[in-house]
Amino acid sequence: MRANFIFSEVWIGLRRNLTMTIAVIITVAVGMAMLGVGLMINSQVGLMKGFWNDKVEVSVFLCKKGTAMPACNGKAITPAQTKALEAHIKGTQGVKQVFFENETTAYENFKQSFSSNKALVDATKVEDLPQSFRIALKDPDNYESVIQAVTGQPGVAQVMDQKQLIAPFFSMLDKLAIAALTVAIILVLAAALLIGNTVRLSAFNRRRETGIMRLVGASNLYIQLPFVMEGVIAGLVGGVFAAVILIVAKVFLFDQIVGFFGGATALLGWNDVAQTITITMIIGVVICILASFVTLRRYLRV
Amino acid sequence: MIHFDNVTKVYANQNRPALDHVSVDVDKGEFVFLVGPSGSGKSTFLRLILKEERPNSGAIHVAGKDLARLSNFKVPHLRRRIGCVFQDFRLLPNKNVYENVAFALEVIGKPRRFIRKVVPEVIELVGLEGKAHRMPDELSGGEQQRVAMARAFVNRPMILLADEPTGNIDPATSIGIMKVLDRINRTGTTVVMATHDAAIVDSMRKRVVELEDGKIVRDQSRGVYGQAY
Repeated sequence: MRANFIFSEVWIGLRRNLTMTIAVIITVAVGMAMLGVGLMINSQVGLMKGFWNDKVEVSVFLCKKGTAMPACNGKAITPAQTKALEAHIKGTQGVKQVFFENETTAYENFKQSFSSNKALVDATKVEDLPQSFRIALKDPDNYESVIQAVTGQPGVAQVMDQKQLIAPFFSMLDKLAIAALTVAIILVLAAALLIGNTVRLSAFNRRRETGIMRLVGASNLYIQLPFVMEGVIAGLVGGVFAAVILIVAKVFLFDQIVGFFGGATALLGWNDVAQTITITMIIGVVICILASFVTLRRYLRV
Repeated sequence: MIHFDNVTKVYANQNRPALDHVSVDVDKGEFVFLVGPSGSGKSTFLRLILKEERPNSGAIHVAGKDLARLSNFKVPHLRRRIGCVFQDFRLLPNKNVYENVAFALEVIGKPRRFIRKVVPEVIELVGLEGKAHRMPDELSGGEQQRVAMARAFVNRPMILLADEPTGNIDPATSIGIMKVLDRINRTGTTVVMATHDAAIVDSMRKRVVELEDGKIVRDQSRGVYGQAY
């Protein structure tokens, strides 16, 4: 098989259908980028969930004198109640570990969290912060039952789960991933149709050549390969653009989001990005080949 | 070389068969004229040899192969052993004479060294020496048909099919075309030529097969075009 003959045919075909080729490249690029972003959001959510699940704990704030919470009736928790509560929590199903956080540690943590807001830190005294039990859970997703068991116990001011705070964020990310994947599927479909159309135009433009090739006994593969290669090259170029978009998305989107919510360990690695790019490239090229072959079967009878 | 046994071909959406129980034998090295009015089945006959169409019934053997048993995968190899020439030349307008002939070898994957050797030979055989770098639109009709014959013959086929090769060419030039076909025939290539041209058939004195409404009505060695015309 003469490679340079095929490549010159491919080059001629791509040039003749320049506008269609550009349309294919753009569609493939955007489609594959969407697919990649969807996949990357998915693995990002996985990473961040893992990171958060290690940290997430239920906080049981205890009553102190003058607490505004109605459950306290303005009375502070007694040492006996504290002991009983700790025993109760330890006996509750799904609890892994319980820590007691006194006012001083709470103040230290508070100072750390709000170190940027000096006025607030200065205005807050150690006595202002409540004591609390911190509960680590066996299954971080199953926090409801623990909250129910602890709420309403004597001396408990308020029960809070960090999961409740970040759950909406995760569900938003999940929705974004689904949206990206949906757009990707639609665009992949559009790309397949566009490629089909391009190949059809190509086949029509070159019907003289293919007619003669058939006549002199060129093999089917030899006749069809230039058309398929056109699709593959358009798909590959689109894939390269998609890769660039994905790299940009990682640096300017994912790393920023994680910077806000996740911490360094939840950062999406370049390995994951490379994997995503490989997957999208393969999918893009396979779709191009399939679309070309299906169209050729209809418009290039041998 | 070509063997038709009781072959019938009916095209879809048509009641009348294009070929109706045709049986004919063409031996290796023969020169056969296929004559008859338009629509008598000449082109169908040629298309069946190339396996561009399939017969509804009957058996066709070409170069010792039963076409019904030939898989689609092997059809290109059959066509490499059959050259084709048409009334409308079918040259590539953006390639010169040399490139048009070389194209036939390029697309079946022949090495470049081989192409460089045989293409000038066959261009000389059809009488176009010195015109290898002309474009088709710089050539007369007769010269274009010579290019088409060079392309059909460059791979040394066993059979050459010609579908009214002189149909677009004036009588004086046609004689030159026939000389080339005769030269090709003398190399041992079987030639089957469909034609309307009575003068040519009469002057060549070769075997004549006459078709009418898809039936063979005459098969004569050293025949003429026909008394009726």
